[in-house]
Amino acid sequence: MKFLARMQAPLGVLTLIALAVGLWMVWNAPADFQQGGAVRILYLHVPSAKMSLFCYVFLTIASIVHLWKRSETADILAEAATAVGISFTGITLASGAIWGKPMWGTWWAWDARLTSMLVLLILYKGLMVLRHSMDDPTKGARATAILAIVGAVDLPIIHYSVVWWRTLHQPPSLAAAEKSGIHISGPLLPPLLAMSVAFILMGVYMLTLKARQIEAQRKLDALEAARLHHE
Amino acid sequence: MLKAAYRIAWKDVAGDFRRRATLSSMLFFAISVLVVFQAAFEPDRKEALRLLPGLLWATTLFTTLVGLGRVFQAEEEDGAFEGLLLASVPRGVIFFGKWLGNLLLTLLVELMILPLTMVLFNVDVWRQAGEILGILTLGTVGLTGLGTLLAAMTQGARSRETLLALLLLPLTAPLLIAGVQAMAGILTGGEVTPWIRLMVIFDVIYLALTPWAFGWLVEE
Repeated sequence: MKFLARMQAPLGVLTLIALAVGLWMVWNAPADFQQGGAVRILYLHVPSAKMSLFCYVFLTIASIVHLWKRSETADILAEAATAVGISFTGITLASGAIWGKPMWGTWWAWDARLTSMLVLLILYKGLMVLRHSMDDPTKGARATAILAIVGAVDLPIIHYSVVWWRTLHQPPSLAAAEKSGIHISGPLLPPLLAMSVAFILMGVYMLTLKARQIEAQRKLDALEAARLHHE
Repeated sequence: MLKAAYRIAWKDVAGDFRRRATLSSMLFFAISVLVVFQAAFEPDRKEALRLLPGLLWATTLFTTLVGLGRVFQAEEEDGAFEGLLLASVPRGVIFFGKWLGNLLLTLLVELMILPLTMVLFNVDVWRQAGEILGILTLGTVGLTGLGTLLAAMTQGARSRETLLALLLLPLTAPLLIAGVQAMAGILTGGEVTPWIRLMVIFDVIYLALTPWAFGWLVEE
């Protein structure tokens, strides 16, 4: 944790620079001939979608380490990853809706990816609620870690079933529209890469900040408990 | 070993039969859900047939939540849960027993829900009743398996019933999707096999995973 404290300020500066460079590149990127200026939302949307999944992978690893080694640090990192992950998932869904309104003509469609993302958001929320609804923090931490692993097993099944559900029943019009978005031509790629790097840095920075805050909070709770015990 | 699991399950089922607590509240909850659906959608016969898979699954899901809220109720007082854990069998077997008891009660309620739904919504699918019950059973295995783990997980949590719903509904989304699609396939002659395969995969994964997870959960 001390290492995180020393890393935080330089990491913050680096994140700011990367974000500034990335946004400058997005500003100067050519507008898509079909999507116009709205394509710029995707430079925010795609990296944040990746980050919401990365956070879950990180959360799963931290949960396994916590169960295995009973490490408090791993548990703090898992709790921090949940908070960071839910914000990125929220940003992904919101930016996707803003992009979808002019492009698809609707804020929301029960597309496979959208549905999976929504389930991921609920799962993150469930993890947060479960942790804080336990009186005994050790018990809460363990239950949350197990739920995170159960979720990690479940997420691929959910995604698979939802993809199946949407493609068997609807002509994959949305998938086709998304596919045309995947064919990113040359000049659009560098800003996407820059924004991805910026978002990774931002995710790590948020994780650091949140982990230190949780650690301080736990120390404070322990002191408070000791004081009450003393009186 | 299996005898121990069977005994735990029997203790729960027989105990519930004597008190008629869980079984009757699940059944009456299911009936009130059906009343809500009727009032909300007012389907005619044709619509009712189309809505039937969704009606059955939504009712099952909500009813299961009522049952799951009480899986560990008998163990909540006087340190009975610790007593159960002290039994000289692996923790996975204890979990298996608790799951089996819950599964039996839930299946029993479903057996009563199906004819009730047909009567209340004026649809006649008696000929496919066996297949429909089979699919309900397949979904209920996974639903109660994961649900029993979540019930153990939320034991001692504040407002646990809400928490249980918040956790169970997203995680069992594949079962709900596959169950509704498979049932619709049976009623209208569409695709059934891939959905059944999906449910079997889900059931197998969770029946293998949950006893281990339970062991981790209750370890001191």
